Amino acid sequence: MIQSQLALLRREIWEHRAIFVVPVVVAIVMALTSLTGQVTINDIEHIDIAVVGATNMPESARAIALSGIMVGLSSPFVFAMWILTIFYTLDSLYAERKDRSILFWRSIPCTDFETVLSKLLTAVIVIPLVTFVIIMATHLLVLLNVSIWIDFRGGSAWHLIWAAVPFIDNWTATLVLLLALPLWLSPFIGWFLFVSAFSKRSPLLIAASPIVLLPLLEKILFGSVVVAETLFVRAVKMPLFAGLDNMDLLFQGEDHLETLANTELSLLGLMDLGGFLANPNLWLGLLVCGLFTAAAIYVRRYRDESL
Amino acid sequence: MTSLVSARNVSKSFGNFLAVDDVSFEIEKGRIMGLIGPNGAGKTTLLKAVLGLTDCQGSLSVLGLDPFRQRKELMQNICFIADVAVLPRWIRVSQLLDFLQSVHPKFSRARAEELLQKTDINAKSKVRELSKGMVTQLHLSIITAIDAKLLVLDEPTIGLDIIFRKEFYGNLLNDYFDEERTIIITTHQVEEIENLLTDVMFINHGKVVLDSQMDDIPEKYVELLASTDNAAKAQTFNPIYEKDVFGKKVLTFEGIDRDQLAGLGELRTPDIADLFVAKVKGEAA
Repeated sequence: MIQSQLALLRREIWEHRAIFVVPVVVAIVMALTSLTGQVTINDIEHIDIAVVGATNMPESARAIALSGIMVGLSSPFVFAMWILTIFYTLDSLYAERKDRSILFWRSIPCTDFETVLSKLLTAVIVIPLVTFVIIMATHLLVLLNVSIWIDFRGGSAWHLIWAAVPFIDNWTATLVLLLALPLWLSPFIGWFLFVSAFSKRSPLLIAASPIVLLPLLEKILFGSVVVAETLFVRAVKMPLFAGLDNMDLLFQGEDHLETLANTELSLLGLMDLGGFLANPNLWLGLLVCGLFTAAAIYVRRYRDESL
Repeated sequence: MTSLVSARNVSKSFGNFLAVDDVSFEIEKGRIMGLIGPNGAGKTTLLKAVLGLTDCQGSLSVLGLDPFRQRKELMQNICFIADVAVLPRWIRVSQLLDFLQSVHPKFSRARAEELLQKTDINAKSKVRELSKGMVTQLHLSIITAIDAKLLVLDEPTIGLDIIFRKEFYGNLLNDYFDEERTIIITTHQVEEIENLLTDVMFINHGKVVLDSQMDDIPEKYVELLASTDNAAKAQTFNPIYEKDVFGKKVLTFEGIDRDQLAGLGELRTPDIADLFVAKVKGEAA
């Protein structure tokens, strides 16, 4: 069972090379941006003062600044990962019907449950892990690049960067975020798998239609916005950050940011994993995902494909 | 001997349309059964039921299993090639072998590689880079390397040229078939497989209209080529089918002693294609 599942997961990576290609492309863009950024600031006179200034900063402030840079580097990956997940899940059970290979896949001794499970696991575990590894590599690459630049400018890269970066805190927090995000968004993932299993054409359009139309219909028919709010909260308000949610982080007043800056900053400290895991909405979402996935398995098993 | 496939009163309907209508048959181990029928006769639906891809009414047992409910166990011992069960185009030959090695307990990679050595197929190629003939060769090679008890072939050679078709059936007999293995095959090119078959079953409008061992055909069926006068006499023996050929009559009889027809014209055993037409058209008449 486990060996088959691993083979099925490997098969997903073979078929959907975007799982690697998308984060690698983002990494290349980020690395190039960091290179061209350096070339640009090289033209500015007195830039060496900045290096001196950084050297004189307190260590905790340097850590915050560097962690900020790393979060900045990670953000596009998180965004790209979600877009990738949408397209992957919509394609996962649709492609095998479109290229008519479904009967071949069904001729091998793997159940429909095992096969659909492998697609779900790819979305919630494999894609985040691949993205995570490439984020780490990008961090190292960009920091190495900045180190070389600092050394040329007479600063101490070891002192300014490598000793100061809170690697463990930053990477653990990134991994938690990457794994928590698909869990929180799992109702969408389940819905996309289900659409992928039944739609005859344009799964993206079919998947998006109710997400757009249901809130509209509700507003027109009942004048209420329950569906719209539910979808909005699910999409942008992941309750992972202690006392805040990710939107609040952006919109908090300056006072709040100052208190943050004066404390020893820890990204992990900003997260409340226990609270996230205890949040009933998380489990409600997982239940919805489970129901949609079961429906996808049912459709794959019972639909009569004309042989 | 226990049957490998046993069907009793199997039916399958889609809405009001009865695709398979109360069919019963047995297939024993070590046989090659040809399932012959016109388009829409229910062959494919019947094969799908045997493969556990569709549910049906009645009692159907394949290798002692309920194919629809025990599909995973069944698939360890059954292979199938259907014209539409195509290999995924994105996969590399080597990946296909890796995958099957991991998921199929009865797959022998060494055997598959040995068979592929005899072809021009490169392990690094993707399926989309291979010609249709090569894809079928690849499919047959991996299936031959699976130690399965039953192989189901649904129009396996459709769209292939004559050389690939001959080679396909040659390989099927030489590399795959032995007395432990059983094959069910459907095709429109009946002439090409006639000599392979040990058993033949005709199906029309969802019903079995003939189910016989090939060896019994000459005893049961006879074709008479007679002049118009003699044909009139022969008609008293109730032919199941008659047609005109070059001013003469060809009459097909079922269960008539050849001695009774002696002297009325030339007697011969009908080939499968003619017999099929006789049974199907004769029924309609």
